[in-house]
Amino acid sequence: MDLYKFKYTFKQRLNFIFGLVIFIFSIVLIKFFYLQVIKFDNYSTLAKSNRIKIIAVPAIRGQILDRNGEVLAANKLIYTLEINPKIKVDLNKVKKDLSSIVEIKKYDIKKYKKILKGRNYSSTLPIKANLTNIQVAKFIANQYKFPNILLKQKFSRTYPKEMLGAHFIGYLNRINKKDILRLKKMNQYESYMGLDHIGKTGIEYFYEDRLHGSPGYKKIEVDAKNRIVRTIDVIEPIHGEDIILNIDYNLQKIAEKSFGNYKGAMIALNPSNGAVLAHVSMPSYNPNLFINGIDESNWRRLSDSIHKPLINRVVSGVYPPGSTLKPFVALAALENKIRRPPFSIIDKGFYNMPNQSKTFSDWKKSGHGEVDIVKAIIVSCDTFFYGLGVELGIPKLNNVLKRFGFGKKTKIDLPSEKRGLIASPLWKKRKYNKKWYQGETAITAIGQGYTLATPVQLALATAKLINPDSNIYPRLLKKQNIPIHMKSKKNISEPFVVKKTDLTEVDDLTLIKKAMSLVTKEGGTAAFIGRTTSYNISAKTGTAQVFGLKKNEVYDESILPDKLKDHALFIAFAPSENPKLVIAIVVENGGHGGATAGPIAKKVFDAYLSGSN
Amino acid sequence: MFNLKIFQNIDRTLMVLIIFLILIGLVTLTSAAQGSIFLLVSQMVNIIIGLVILIFLSNINPKIFIFYAPHLYVFSLLLLISVVFFGFESHGAKRWINLLFFNLQPSEIIKITIPLMLAWLYHRFQNTINYKTHSIAFIILIAPCLMILDQPDLGTAILIFISGFIVIFLAGLSLKFIIYTIFIFIISLPFLWSTLHLYQQNRILNLIDPTLDPLGTGYHSIQSIIAIGSGGFLGRGWSYGGQTQLNFLPETTTDFIFSVFGEEFGFLGVLGIFVLYFLILYRCVDMTQKMQNTFSRLITASLVFTLFSSTFVNIAMVSGVFPIVGAPLPFISYGGTSMVVSLTMIGIIMSLHSNKSLIAN
Repeated sequence: MDLYKFKYTFKQRLNFIFGLVIFIFSIVLIKFFYLQVIKFDNYSTLAKSNRIKIIAVPAIRGQILDRNGEVLAANKLIYTLEINPKIKVDLNKVKKDLSSIVEIKKYDIKKYKKILKGRNYSSTLPIKANLTNIQVAKFIANQYKFPNILLKQKFSRTYPKEMLGAHFIGYLNRINKKDILRLKKMNQYESYMGLDHIGKTGIEYFYEDRLHGSPGYKKIEVDAKNRIVRTIDVIEPIHGEDIILNIDYNLQKIAEKSFGNYKGAMIALNPSNGAVLAHVSMPSYNPNLFINGIDESNWRRLSDSIHKPLINRVVSGVYPPGSTLKPFVALAALENKIRRPPFSIIDKGFYNMPNQSKTFSDWKKSGHGEVDIVKAIIVSCDTFFYGLGVELGIPKLNNVLKRFGFGKKTKIDLPSEKRGLIASPLWKKRKYNKKWYQGETAITAIGQGYTLATPVQLALATAKLINPDSNIYPRLLKKQNIPIHMKSKKNISEPFVVKKTDLTEVDDLTLIKKAMSLVTKEGGTAAFIGRTTSYNISAKTGTAQVFGLKKNEVYDESILPDKLKDHALFIAFAPSENPKLVIAIVVENGGHGGATAGPIAKKVFDAYLSGSN
Repeated sequence: MFNLKIFQNIDRTLMVLIIFLILIGLVTLTSAAQGSIFLLVSQMVNIIIGLVILIFLSNINPKIFIFYAPHLYVFSLLLLISVVFFGFESHGAKRWINLLFFNLQPSEIIKITIPLMLAWLYHRFQNTINYKTHSIAFIILIAPCLMILDQPDLGTAILIFISGFIVIFLAGLSLKFIIYTIFIFIISLPFLWSTLHLYQQNRILNLIDPTLDPLGTGYHSIQSIIAIGSGGFLGRGWSYGGQTQLNFLPETTTDFIFSVFGEEFGFLGVLGIFVLYFLILYRCVDMTQKMQNTFSRLITASLVFTLFSSTFVNIAMVSGVFPIVGAPLPFISYGGTSMVVSLTMIGIIMSLHSNKSLIAN
């Protein structure tokens, strides 16, 4: 190869490489133009999402207080050990590693897995909650050994009174799929950002939207290791509103204590405005068990118990009203101008159905002798009411019962309220496709038929005897200050007292109330509770049969097993002249009359009237 | 100060451009270092060492380069071999020898000695260049490349191959041969692939598609592109790059320093750097064409294009055109070896340029 050719080739190839370098650099420059000018918005957003994070700041849930500021539901600071579910960890290894600090039970792991499956707002999930101070200190000292386990501090719901008032207070639990659907339907899902819990029952459920508040947001800048560099923006959460109840904690305590080991329900109302001062459902349970997920053995114990402790008997328990229905039946008669005094019957202990051979017996075998409508209430004469019922007829009776609120919800501010039942021929036809017998009218008149009522219905009906002109609802909520941020469309709290009702003519009512005031006097079915009081109690006792006696069988309380014993019912108000408190009580399997229910009522009256007078 | 005798061989145009580039690098490093004075000071020391060597080399008679080229080549090859025995591992590769006060990377030195050796070869046999000469040249080139590939350091191996191949190409290697070789290489690719170990295959696959390892090099690539893209036209401003300052971007002072520059100075800044590169390239090619002997021409062209290959690989890597190979950006990245080697190359070029008549053919 000669030198000239070499030089020529060199020059040519040098220019070629020079061109090539410029070409490939141009390509890179075009790439830069593409990234920085054309796709700038895209990468700018990506860079922002790298470093800007939005964290929800959960609102602190409102407390639940009684009328005197006694705390019934509060928030306490707890420590939990949590795991980031995005990092794969061997739970058994975690259990083993942590064994020197805190015991992770099989149940904890099971619960963690359950939480993992559900909705989770938090980036980490608890493997162990409620650490003691010693456990926290131990964990902090050994933290370096557990890079994947975080110690977190959070607010947890707590019910300081434990079993007391559990049914109306309710409890929180983790948000489940059903709750999500409901929240989405109500357009409230967004306001649950940052929250894992929701009210499941009681006041916690009913006033959920006031209690939970609305979350705030924190916009932060983080570095590559997710450490907070600075806070850009904070929207403070609006904390939940405290709910102040009409409940009187002291009265509640006395009422629950009075029940002893009996099962049943009691509700005490202020008859002038429907304020619920005490609300007892027995047996009770400890709502604290539910907060961080109830464990299986406790859940079994509560849900499988034949005593059904989880049911709120005040609103969900339906009972035959028994003789407590009699004042209302009597009022229906008076209104329809029948059986007005001086009308009376001679009671020989049984009632013969007209045109039939069938007889119905009185609870008192020997009969009550001459009985008018007032005495019929005082001694709870069945014979008088059998005849009254048959004479009056079901439609007229039911009209009055409806006016007093039987067969429909009282609109108390609690969930799961039952409607009870006003039995009628039409209802029987629909339900059983069977004919209504006249005998059924007779037993309906003494409250032993198909007609059923909840304790709260009985209390409301009794309150309406006192204040026939007002339209009241039983209310647990006392304070009504709705914050501005609440955009809740449903108006939960209608005013207590609205329009006048044409309930009953006063003269008839006076007669009924007069009779009721004598129930606690000598000769009345609850005379024993009237003997020792300094004020007058108006009442009506009742006994509801749990099972029907066969013909010629004798009801003997002493030989019956507890669960087959009659329910004892009791409605009352006091003082008779100027009623301040209405009480309705059901003592399940409490036996005859007001023997068990009456004393409970008396204790509550004593406590309330001595306190408020 | 250019009146001083030791500066007489410095090409002013090239020197001003290079100094300007180094200053831009220092400004960028100040931001990328996030307040680390140590890094800045040691980079300045690197620059001073490099400049001293540059000035020294610019005063060396090119004949000395010719004379010592084979010695230097053999010496650097020995260094490379010693890595196998005395080298230490870092980041899964054995590339360095510990020389007490600094760590030497022989593969960087080879970047200079191979062009010298090849230029020597073609200069020595310039009247009888034929396929034999080219074959010997290939052997000289391939031997160290394979050793570096085994370290493993694919990036450097490719860059060294390119620097050597440019010499062979400029020396007149038959175009036919080049085309045939490429053709045969492509044909035999499946066979070559099958001879590789599984881990080697994986390494190459990962190189081609970083998303195979999204938390490793893939993450780096993604963050680098976000940094550059979010810089926009004007940039986010010096020391205000979020990707850089909040450490989303890895290796901000070394391999990814250009991403820092792109984020903080935007497309306008990038365009400015490219103009600077073009001016440097243009000046160097101009100087090459004025050289009067085979040795000088081949050396200069090879060194210049080696520098630009490194530059290209780095910039293409950070902008996502190329996979991540781990190559510093000459004159800008933090690092002693890279800075000293780059300035050494410029020093050799200046010596050859200013003494062009000395070794005329």
